[in-house]
Amino acid sequence: MKEKKQLSPPRAARRLLLFFLRSDLAEEVEGDLFETYKLKLKQTSPFRAKLHYWYEVMHYMRPFAIRKSILSLIHYAMFQNYFKIGWRNLVKQKMYSFVKIGGFALGIAACLLIALFIRDELSYDLQYPDANRIYRVVEVYNDNGEINRGVWMQAPFANSIKEDYPEIEKAGRYNSSELFGAGSNQIRRDDQTENTFEEGFVFADQELLEIMKVPMVYGNLAHCLDQPKTMVITRSRAEKYFPNENPVGKLMVVNNDREGPFKIGGVIEDFPKNSHLHFQFFVTMKGREFWEGEQNYWGANNYPTYLLLRPGTDPKELAHKMDKVVSKYLLPLWLNQGRSEAKKMAEAIHYELQPVTDIHLRNAGIQDPISHGDIRFVWLFGGVAAFILIIACINFVNLSTAKSANRAKEVGLRKTVGSYRSNIVNQFLIESVLFSVLSFAFGILLAWALLPYFNVLAAKSLVFPWGEWWLVPLLLSSCLAIGILAGLYPSFYLSSFRPIQVLKGNVSRGSKNATTRSVLVVFQFTTSIVLIISTFIIYRQVNYILTRDVGFDKEQVLLLQGTNTLGKKVSTLKSELLELSSVQSVTVSDYLPISGTKRNGNGFYVEGRQNVDKSVGGQFWVVDHDYVKTMGMKIVAGRDFSREMASDSSAVVINQRMAKELGLTDPVGKRIQNWEVFTIVGVVEDFNFDTMRGKIDPLLLKLGNSPSIVSVKIKPGNLAASIASIKDIWKKISPHQPIRYAFLDDSFGRMYEDVQRMGHIFTTFAVLAIIVACLGLFALSSFMIEQRGKEISIRLVLGASLKNIFRLLTLNFVKLVFISIVIAAPLAWYMMKHWLEDFTYRIEITWDVFVLGGVMAVMIALVTISYQSIRAGMAKPVNGLRSE
Amino acid sequence: MIETRLGEFEEVILLLVGILGEDAYAFRVAGEFESQAGRAVSIGAVHSTLTRLEEKGFVNSKMGEATAERGGRRKRIYTITAYGRKVLAEARDFRISLWKQFPGFATLKGLQKSLS
Repeated sequence: MKEKKQLSPPRAARRLLLFFLRSDLAEEVEGDLFETYKLKLKQTSPFRAKLHYWYEVMHYMRPFAIRKSILSLIHYAMFQNYFKIGWRNLVKQKMYSFVKIGGFALGIAACLLIALFIRDELSYDLQYPDANRIYRVVEVYNDNGEINRGVWMQAPFANSIKEDYPEIEKAGRYNSSELFGAGSNQIRRDDQTENTFEEGFVFADQELLEIMKVPMVYGNLAHCLDQPKTMVITRSRAEKYFPNENPVGKLMVVNNDREGPFKIGGVIEDFPKNSHLHFQFFVTMKGREFWEGEQNYWGANNYPTYLLLRPGTDPKELAHKMDKVVSKYLLPLWLNQGRSEAKKMAEAIHYELQPVTDIHLRNAGIQDPISHGDIRFVWLFGGVAAFILIIACINFVNLSTAKSANRAKEVGLRKTVGSYRSNIVNQFLIESVLFSVLSFAFGILLAWALLPYFNVLAAKSLVFPWGEWWLVPLLLSSCLAIGILAGLYPSFYLSSFRPIQVLKGNVSRGSKNATTRSVLVVFQFTTSIVLIISTFIIYRQVNYILTRDVGFDKEQVLLLQGTNTLGKKVSTLKSELLELSSVQSVTVSDYLPISGTKRNGNGFYVEGRQNVDKSVGGQFWVVDHDYVKTMGMKIVAGRDFSREMASDSSAVVINQRMAKELGLTDPVGKRIQNWEVFTIVGVVEDFNFDTMRGKIDPLLLKLGNSPSIVSVKIKPGNLAASIASIKDIWKKISPHQPIRYAFLDDSFGRMYEDVQRMGHIFTTFAVLAIIVACLGLFALSSFMIEQRGKEISIRLVLGASLKNIFRLLTLNFVKLVFISIVIAAPLAWYMMKHWLEDFTYRIEITWDVFVLGGVMAVMIALVTISYQSIRAGMAKPVNGLRSE
Repeated sequence: MIETRLGEFEEVILLLVGILGEDAYAFRVAGEFESQAGRAVSIGAVHSTLTRLEEKGFVNSKMGEATAERGGRRKRIYTITAYGRKVLAEARDFRISLWKQFPGFATLKGLQKSLS
C-alpha cells in the first residue's frame, strides 16, 4: 500500500498541471513527467523525487503549454492601463498620495522596527546546542499563601540531585554574589603592576560551561575549570590582556593578591547580546569554600543551578520528584537545629524547572540576579505596532472612498465599454498594491535610516537581517497582503457604482459613506487618545519614582569604587578626604541603597525565640560610624552609632520595617539575633534600597569592615574643584590604580533605566501613531472642504465671516474627537491601572490626565484641520463660483 | 511571421532529435541533453523548444506507442525534416567558415584535423 502511494507522483502537483496545461498536451506531458519521476525514484529519495516533480510542473508554465482560457485571464495590456491610470492618479493628487504613502511608510517603518525589537527579545538563549534540555532550578516557597520564587540553591544541591536522579545528565552552578568576591574586581597580568577594574566576575562549576556548551577559542571545554585556582575568560578580555597570544596557562592577579594568582584554563567566545548571562571571568568553584564546610552546608542559598536533562525527560515530573530533596537534606538540618516549625517549612517548599529559553522574558515572580525583558512589553509594543499599521490602513481606506467621486466617472465609463465588476475590483486592488509597494520601499528605507536612533532608544544593537533567506519573501508577501487588505473595501465600494447614474452625474459625492468614515476617524482618534493618556501616566509614574523621597539623600555623594585593594590605607584615605574643606562626611561601606552593590540576606529572630518564631528575612549590612550621616538617613528612635560607646561593636540599627516584622513596638534596647546576638540602639526610617517595584525589606545595620566603596558627601559649591582635589589624594595613596568614581544619584537613576527606556519607546511610538492619524485627518478635512467649495463661496458672498466658516468646517470633526475621548478615557484608565499595579509606589490616576489628554487631542485635531479651514474661509469667493 | 533562424539551444535540441532517431521525445531529449552537456534542463524547456522547432518546420511529430512505464500514456515522437537537416548543415558550415577565418585557432592541429 505504502509502496504504491510512493509510486504515484504528488497529487497536488498533478492537479495543478492539469489545471493550466492545454488538454491536447496532457497525455504526452504527463507521460514524460511520470517517466522522470520513476527515474528519480530509483536514483534518490521519494521526497527528492516529489520535489523534482514539482519543479518540472512549475517549468511547464510556459506560454506554449498554458490553456488559452487561462492566458486570456491575464490581460497584459489591461494591467498596463491600470498601472498607468493608477500612476497618473498618484501624481495628479500629490497631497493625497503623500498622506497615503507617507502614512503607510511611517506605519511600516514603525512596524519593522518593533518587529526587529520583538524578534531580538524572543531570540534570547537559543544559542546553546541543547537549549531545549537546559533548565534552571527554581525554589518555590509558600509563605502562608504568599508564593516566593527564587533561583538560589544550596551549595551541595547540584551534586546531590545529580547523584539522586539519573535523569540529570549534568548539573552546574554559579555564584555571582559580591559578598564572596564576584561582580567587579581589580585585575592584572601577573607580570604587570597596573590594576584594571573589570566587571563580570563569577564563581562557576566546570559543568556549567559544559551544559551551555560554550564555544571555546583556546583550551579544552572538558578541562578548562576542573583544576583549583583556574579561570576562564572571554575572547574580548583575552584580547585586552593577551593580545595576539594564547593565554591558556598564563597567570592573572585579582585584587593585588600576589600569593594566589589564577591560571587561565581556557578562553570562550563572549556571550552573545541575546543571552541572559554576561559574565567575563569565570573563576572555578573547584577547591573553593567561602567558609569552612560551606560546600556541604544546606543552610545557605547562594547558587543559581542549571541542569542538563537527558533526552526524553519530562521536566514537570522530575521537578515533582525533586521535592524529596527537602525531606532528605533540609528537614534533618532543621530538626537538628531544633526548629519547631521545621515540618511545616518543609511542606511549603517545592521545586520547578524553568526552561533556559524562558529566563529572559517569562520570569515574572521569580527573584534572580539578572536583568530581564518582559513578555508584557513585547505584547504591548506589538499592539502599538499593529495599531499604527491599522491607523495607516484606515487613512488609506478613508481617502480612497472619499475620493471615490472623482473616480466614479471613470468606473462608469469602464463599465459602459464592457468591464466586468471583477475587472474594476482588480483595477483598484492593483492600484492599492502599487501604493503599498511604494510605501514599503519608503518604509524600509525609513526604518533602515532610523535604526541607529532606535538602537540608542532601546539600548539594543539590532541590525536588519538582510542575509536571512526569509526576509525578502516575507516583506514582499506582507506588502502584497497589506496592499490587498487595504484596497479591499475601496475596490468593492467603487466597483459597485451603476454606470448610468454616475455618467448622468448624480453620484452622491462620497457623502453616503460619511458614517463609515466617521467610525474610522473615531477609531483612529480613540487609539491616539489612549496612547496620549498612557504616555502621560507612564511619564508621571517614571518621574514620581525618580523624584520621590527615598529616605536618604542621594545628591552630592561621590562613590569611590574598588578601594578594597588599598587594604589598610582605606582609613588613611578616609581621614585625608575629611581634611578637605569641601567634604562634609565620608563613609566606608560596600552596602549602598542602590542596586548592584553588596547584599547579604539573613534570617533574624527576637533573642531566644529562634525555635518558636519563623525567621524574619532581612538584609544584614556592614557599615561604619558615619554611614547614616553621610547617606542623609533619619533616625526615628534611639540613636546612631557612636564612637564613644565601646559596646557599639555588638549594637545594630534596624529599619522600621524590621521592627514591624519582628513585632517590636519599642525596639530600642531590645536584643535580636541571627547566629550572634545584637542590641538594637536605634531605628532608621525606611529607605529604598532596591527598585521601587518591590516593597522595602527588613534591614539591619552593623558596624564592621566592608572596604570596597568609599562614599564622600560633598558640600554644595564647586563640584569640579572638589573632585580634582579628591583625585589628587587618590593618586597619592594609590598610584597603581586609576581612580574610579560615580555619583550616587546617577547610579540611583540607572536602577530605573529600564522603566525610563520603556517610557521613551512608548512615547516615540505614541507620537508616531498620532502623526499618522493627523495626516489622515488633514487629508480628509481638506477633501471635505474641497467638496464644499461652492457652498463656502456662496456663504462668503452672503456675508459669512471667517469665524462662521471655521466653525462650520471644524464642528463635525471636533464632535468626532469628543466621541473618541468618551470611548478612550475608560479604556486608558483600565489599561494603565493594570500597568501601575506592578509598582509598589505608584501615582493615583487623577482626572486631570484625561482632561489633558482630551484637550490635547482636540487641539491636535483643530490645528490639523484649521489650516485648510482658514484657507477656505480666506479664499476669494469668485474663484470658487466662477464656472469653467 | 514564422521565424526561421536557429538559436543555439534550438540547434542542440535539433541535433539531439537527429541522434535519438525513433526515440526522440521530450523526456529522452532532456535526459540526453543532461548526459551529453552535463547540465540539467527541465522537460518543459525542451518541450517548449521542440514545439517552436515544429512551428518553424524543422521537425515533425506524431504520437507514438503507449508504454507501461509511462502509465499507459503515449509519447510524442519528433523526427527531423529535410528542411531541418538543411538548416543544421547551413549552421554547421557557417560555423566552420568562421572558425577557418579565426587565425588564433586555425593553426591548432586538432582543429585543423577536425575541420579538414
